[in-house]
Amino acid sequence: MIPSDLWYTKEHEWVRFDGQSATMGITHHAQEQLGEITFVELPAPARRIKAMDPIGSVESSKAASEVYSPVAGEITEVNGRLESEPELINQSCYQDGWLCKIQAQGGPETFGLMNAGQYEQYLQEQ
Amino acid sequence: MSPARKTVLYEQHLLRTDRSRLIEFAGYLMPVWYSSIPREHQAVRQAAGLFDCTHMGVWSIRGATAADFLEGLTTQTIASLAPGKARYGYIVDTVGAVLDDVIVYRLGPQEFMMVVNAVNHDKIGRWFARAQEILDERLSGAAAPEICDLADPAQGRRRRVDLALQGPASREILERILPDDAARNALGKLKSFEGFPTRLEGSDVFIAATGYTGSSVGYELYVHPDQAGPIWQRLLQAGEDLGLVPCGLGARDSLRIEAGLPLYGHELAGAHRISPFQAGYGWAVKLDKPFFIGQEALRAQSTDYTQQVQRLELPGRPGVRPVRPDDAVLADSGECVGWVLSCARVGESQIALALVDARLECQETVGVYYLARSERHRQEGRKESVRLGETMAPDVNGTILERMARF
Repeated sequence: MIPSDLWYTKEHEWVRFDGQSATMGITHHAQEQLGEITFVELPAPARRIKAMDPIGSVESSKAASEVYSPVAGEITEVNGRLESEPELINQSCYQDGWLCKIQAQGGPETFGLMNAGQYEQYLQEQ
Repeated sequence: MSPARKTVLYEQHLLRTDRSRLIEFAGYLMPVWYSSIPREHQAVRQAAGLFDCTHMGVWSIRGATAADFLEGLTTQTIASLAPGKARYGYIVDTVGAVLDDVIVYRLGPQEFMMVVNAVNHDKIGRWFARAQEILDERLSGAAAPEICDLADPAQGRRRRVDLALQGPASREILERILPDDAARNALGKLKSFEGFPTRLEGSDVFIAATGYTGSSVGYELYVHPDQAGPIWQRLLQAGEDLGLVPCGLGARDSLRIEAGLPLYGHELAGAHRISPFQAGYGWAVKLDKPFFIGQEALRAQSTDYTQQVQRLELPGRPGVRPVRPDDAVLADSGECVGWVLSCARVGESQIALALVDARLECQETVGVYYLARSERHRQEGRKESVRLGETMAPDVNGTILERMARF
């Protein structure tokens, strides 16, 4: 449930780096805590953001969770499918349920992201 | 705050759900869902669901003056209640503030059981003494009834906790585990708000046709806490092929909202001090009986209100932002006429209970304005509260439904 090739935040976001392009979403743990996701608020494309900026939200009937940017940079693409199919996050949080792509100004170390092992340990300590 | 307590079914919950799914509710750790809220909701509407209600307060009131005491304590008529029958009513204080909504079961001529909300258990426990003082004058020195908390270990074999089995298949499931034909006969004849004593898994229980889901068929089982686990397991086993599933707090909430049933602190009392009349339960306040505590205050409240609770249907397909408590309800003109109290997604709709202008009628169109829920919303200028009479553009539109629904 914790892919080894991704990086993670304490707020339960994941990031996949492909060069400077960072794809992000919320983790399996985060989607499971929310339950059936019925609404996703996505950031505006081309927006410049700092790390930890609130960029959107994910809501289920029971809870709303703000999503923070794991990296600084510029949003290049958002997953528009989520507007009508928010359940993709429940079904495939690391693939089809991605939230947005960011042209990142730095790598995992720049933003203090956790690797899979560290995130797993973090989850156990929660 | 004291740490969250475990219900007697805690170990059962951990067999079927992850520890992280348990949240604190009324001081107890309870699962929000086992499989999923919509799946559990559907199971109760089409088959059956089993609920851990062992956190509910269960009081025993016994003795020659028990009926008179309850007659004065609650808004309901108790003296005329036949053994084996139950009534829903309110306990209010001397100025008419609702302390709790309760169900009173008459077990025998001088024996009653009263079920209260877990959040109000301690408050009601304290209120008994004050109520006794007030009623002493009227009961002219007669011995006070014996009042016991049936959760108290000191009660030994008399201890009771509540399990709820709700939904159309629940009768057949119960029949399968009842001890004999006499009990199955009693179950077959049981009408709403009636109960009977029997045995399950070798111990004494009281089964009543009551519940909090809006199901026409549904039961509450009052069992000894030591037997709650075995009976819980036995029921799930017996009902598996009929579609019985355990249900968490999420489905409990969505089912009661769909049915229009009030939750203390939300559609009753709470921040808006909602009276039984505003909640749509004026019938449970017997203003014409000789006396109950708070009677004169409630008489005044019975006509003096401008807002009441209504049930709304709003779109709820994926991609529609969930409506939440305090979101503003708007009339056709855009004028704020009230606020959402509770909301749940049911299929492709959201059903909300809202406190709105009492002049609004069934079938009327209303709008809802979402309050700001994040820093981003505030930056975008979304308001954090809306006052009555303010004019807003609706984010989503819906209609007023019948106040209650039965399934």
